[in-house]
Amino acid sequence: MSLSAKGLSTDEIFQVELTVNGERREGAVEARKTLADFLREDLALTGTHLGCEHGVCGACTVLVDGEPARSCLMLAVQARGSAVLTIEGLAQKGELSSLQQSMWDNHSFQCGFCTPGFLMQITALLEQSPNPTEGEVREALSGNICRCTGYQSIVKGVMAAIASSNPKDVS
Amino acid sequence: MSDSKSGVFPVAGRFTGSPVRRSEDPRLLTGRGMYVDDIRLPGMLHAAFVRSPMAHAVVLRVDTKAARSAPGVRAVFDGQEMAQLAKAGGGPLGDMGGEGVESPIFTVLATDRVRMMGDPVALVVADSRYLAEDACELIQVEYQELPAVTSAEQALDPRSTPIFANLGSNVLQGPTTERFGDVEAVFASADRVVTASLTQHRHQNVPMEGRGIVASFDPATGELRVNASTQGVHGVREALAAQLDIPLEKVHVRAGDIGGSFGLKFGVSREEVAVAAASLKLGLPVRWIEDRNENLTVSGQAREESFEVEAAITKDGDILGLKVKMVIDAGAYPGVAPMLVGTIRQMIPGPYRMEALSFTATVAITNKASYVAYRGPWASETWVRERLIDLISAELGRDPMQIRLRNVAVRGEPPLRMVTGPSLAGITAQESLQRAAALIDLDSFRERQELARQEGRYLGVGFGTFIEPAPGPRDPDETPSEEEMEQLRMRLELDGTVTVFTSQMPHGQSHQTTLAQVAADHFGIPFSQVKVVVGDTDMVPMGFGTGGSRSATMAGGATLHAARALRAKVLEVAAQLIDTGPETLNIIGGMVAAEKASTRSITLVEVAAAAAAGDRLPPGIDRELEVNFAFDGGAGGWSGGTHCAVVEVDVETGLVRVERYLVVEDCGEMINPAIVEGQVRGGVAQGIGAVLLERSAYGEDGQFLSGSLMDYLLPTATDVPQIEIEHLETVRLDADVNFRGVGEGGMIVAPPTLGNAIADALAPFGVRITEQHLPPARLLELIGTMDA
Repeated sequence: MSLSAKGLSTDEIFQVELTVNGERREGAVEARKTLADFLREDLALTGTHLGCEHGVCGACTVLVDGEPARSCLMLAVQARGSAVLTIEGLAQKGELSSLQQSMWDNHSFQCGFCTPGFLMQITALLEQSPNPTEGEVREALSGNICRCTGYQSIVKGVMAAIASSNPKDVS
Repeated sequence: MSDSKSGVFPVAGRFTGSPVRRSEDPRLLTGRGMYVDDIRLPGMLHAAFVRSPMAHAVVLRVDTKAARSAPGVRAVFDGQEMAQLAKAGGGPLGDMGGEGVESPIFTVLATDRVRMMGDPVALVVADSRYLAEDACELIQVEYQELPAVTSAEQALDPRSTPIFANLGSNVLQGPTTERFGDVEAVFASADRVVTASLTQHRHQNVPMEGRGIVASFDPATGELRVNASTQGVHGVREALAAQLDIPLEKVHVRAGDIGGSFGLKFGVSREEVAVAAASLKLGLPVRWIEDRNENLTVSGQAREESFEVEAAITKDGDILGLKVKMVIDAGAYPGVAPMLVGTIRQMIPGPYRMEALSFTATVAITNKASYVAYRGPWASETWVRERLIDLISAELGRDPMQIRLRNVAVRGEPPLRMVTGPSLAGITAQESLQRAAALIDLDSFRERQELARQEGRYLGVGFGTFIEPAPGPRDPDETPSEEEMEQLRMRLELDGTVTVFTSQMPHGQSHQTTLAQVAADHFGIPFSQVKVVVGDTDMVPMGFGTGGSRSATMAGGATLHAARALRAKVLEVAAQLIDTGPETLNIIGGMVAAEKASTRSITLVEVAAAAAAGDRLPPGIDRELEVNFAFDGGAGGWSGGTHCAVVEVDVETGLVRVERYLVVEDCGEMINPAIVEGQVRGGVAQGIGAVLLERSAYGEDGQFLSGSLMDYLLPTATDVPQIEIEHLETVRLDADVNFRGVGEGGMIVAPPTLGNAIADALAPFGVRITEQHLPPARLLELIGTMDA
């Protein structure tokens, strides 16, 4: 049951200030507004996608202070003061990140809807563990759903990105 | 690569056949795709639906008063109000299927009756989605519950409550019987008859992006502009014009990036019609984006069929003929089930030589979600046939591979046709079976299996083989209808680039890449200089869109021929400009150049400019550097192949581990091998999901039990193994176009492949597998360690 149906006020507005993709942004939101809706509607950052809105599919994954977060389960007010990184922040000055480039080179995706969540999840993984095994990559991606690919091309793209960022491992 | 060797046309293969990187990816990898949920229009309103909490009930009263005065609400429509604005009819494919099938009568929003859980009862339009959903909760609906019809068996009981009053019963079609060959004689001559009851559970598409629409009616011009998530923009346009009763030319439909579909998004749904009707009434843009619970509960479900099969066989394992009785549970509202009867019937012999078939079909209506197309919608024929062959093999104590090879049709040898009629030209089933058996090394697997069993480990191997009409070999005496032709437009732009306009509506299939590859090679221009325009009824030719694995042959072929025709036109103009014969000219890398080095070359920009201006050209020459091409599919052909799974079943937990998954695939000439392999692997993953995880589940009262992704389980990166793919060499049926569709095969044949492997693993327990959904709990029941 929604807040208003319970007779609770939904019109109290909260100020939200945060950093998104390195830029200081602010907005005024209802307490119930999700971070995903804030990013998509208030900041017009529609690269973050909503695939299930109950925290299972991972399409809406963004990084909040470096940690992957399901922006459909997080409220905008919870991100106050945080640094949020979205898919729009991965390419720098029009140059694809090495991960994006590798996913392109390896035909990693098809319809593209799950893509933002995968890229953010993998970005976090590679920050924390620069040299994972294929099994570790699959495990780390097992909370993101892709309905098109069967995952093999995604895993291949990640492994290629890892190999290209560790040139000394290539004999 | 030199073009001169081919004499007339450039040699294909610079781009065609290479894993060219996708032109779609730069936008999709950077968050700059444009899906329907990303559309923002000034003044746009947001829609939400009130839906039935019951599977079957009479609607006594809908009270919308409180909702109408709720914050931010612009309009509320109940079923009666909506009935004034829009006609119902048309399901996901726009038509209640089938000849001689009476159409059920219903409304866009429910008026007197709800027929499935989630049936839309009222529509709220508000300033935000949040406010629209708030207001939905203020709408009071009084229902009088009716007995729910939740299985085909109940539906076929004459005492069941008719779900549609005008039909009088819950039998939509049948039973109808068709016979091919001398069924009685074949059964009389059989050494034995093997029988089986095989079932196919409900699957669903679950694209990562659900349905959605932004409809914007401008009262000043009378034009309705729509952005849709669809597999074909023209179908949306035609359905909206008809159901809203507005002139076709006033409706404009566009689609951007589509987040998957797998058959779901054809035509318009009732919700999409309601949203467009609301925009028409309000004169403002209205958006509806389906949430996941709506998607799972009401967008549609697929493939719930049960089969009674009798197979007439010889003692040596020849399959002489089949008697099949099929019942489809078509759910509540019009869908594609009646249309599929003919396809399932036609395809059930597959690539095998059987001489006779009797096929009886019944389509039942139940209080469940409507039956939609899902990747290989007729696939239960392959499930039934390939599982049956393993059951026959078990009865004869023979290896299933031997039985398959014994019965499979061999290319060039009689019979040249399936018993149901279609030609078997170009078939490579025997080759794919033999290759798969060799790659898996069946003999050494059997040794390993035996040793493992002695250790209490249960390994199994399963094969499945299939053919897929993509689009199927064409009979020379058959002329395709206009709707079956693939229209394509191609033109040379003033900047020297080429634009392709296609009715294909890619939603993951990468046509903006593949069609550009073909156009680039056959026109003679770099890949990067070709733009492929999709998804705009004002710009793209007529056509039903993307589906049925038609695109590679039909759109690939139309592109090939259009590129050649455009090239010929360009050479005619260029020949005038440089005063030589067109036969001496080639287009290479964007330049028109003569074979003789002494003749000067000319850029495509110069040709385009001269054609536009006309003053340097003699009168009578065709200066319009644009072609419209309609392709009939050429000789067509089958896609097909054999899949093989090696599994280990943990008989303590019921968990299945897929140790190896192998695909031997024949889809003719590949335009882009990486894209082909992505289609195959994606289909296999859905097949694995269908067997081990996915099921659209209903309670006895018709309550839908799998309305979240925590209940409807999709395979993840840890569930899907590496999938090895080997491509067979192309059998060329057509002089020019031998690309064949590959979109559906993986999903068609993976379920029986896996089912056969699991059955093989559990053979020591005497387990007989006749159902397709085999999650751990069910396997433990079958093994006997758990009570059913």
